[in-house]
Amino acid sequence: MLGWTPFLEPMNAMQSWWYLLLIPLVFGIAVIYRALREEDYARYWQSVILMTVQIVLGIVGIAIALGVFVQWVIPLLNQP
Amino acid sequence: MANNHNNANKPPLNIAAIIIGWILPGLGHVSLGQQRRGFLVMGGVLFLVVCGVLIGGIDAVDHKNDGLWFIAQVWCGPIVVGVDVLNQALIAPLPVAEKVTRVGLSHANEIGTLFIAMAGLMNFVVLLDLIQAVNSEDLVRRRTTRDRRAP
Repeated sequence: MLGWTPFLEPMNAMQSWWYLLLIPLVFGIAVIYRALREEDYARYWQSVILMTVQIVLGIVGIAIALGVFVQWVIPLLNQP
Repeated sequence: MANNHNNANKPPLNIAAIIIGWILPGLGHVSLGQQRRGFLVMGGVLFLVVCGVLIGGIDAVDHKNDGLWFIAQVWCGPIVVGVDVLNQALIAPLPVAEKVTRVGLSHANEIGTLFIAMAGLMNFVVLLDLIQAVNSEDLVRRRTTRDRRAP
């Protein structure tokens, strides 16, 4: 980590917690999308946080559903 | 006659604003007088691009090896083209042994590339919004009930 040159070299330290990067990715998308859709600036940051939470929870839900399907449902279907 | 009336009410196509919005994301809305909306878009796109390059290194933009991703990324404008030029000049010519430390592997490359591609696709949506954007539609702070009560 100490020998890392930011921007020139990739951040290889994130290999074990890469899935947490979903949060800044979704936050950036929400900042742009709500800037286009929102008409009232007083509600802007509230709607950005709401959209971020909704998308993250949606993706976590899909991940759990897929995990259950792969770990439990498919082995059950494969049983003779 | 009715058709002519409809055409007269249509807002003009903002071709210049679209070009400006590609050169620097958000600047198209600023040029139309939508400062707050434009600077928020600029902040969002630049945040995603900076995060993408920070995570994946400048190798996250590579038109030769990741051509399809580059089609999505290039909508961010000359910033991404500049990162690709730097990548081709600084990293692509390196010998393999030295290149290994500069090229993102596995998740670092995937996530970095994805951040910049999402920034590009979101800026494409912003450019579509610019086509018929109207000058007076900036993001405004509306007065709330509490504000109205204050002297």
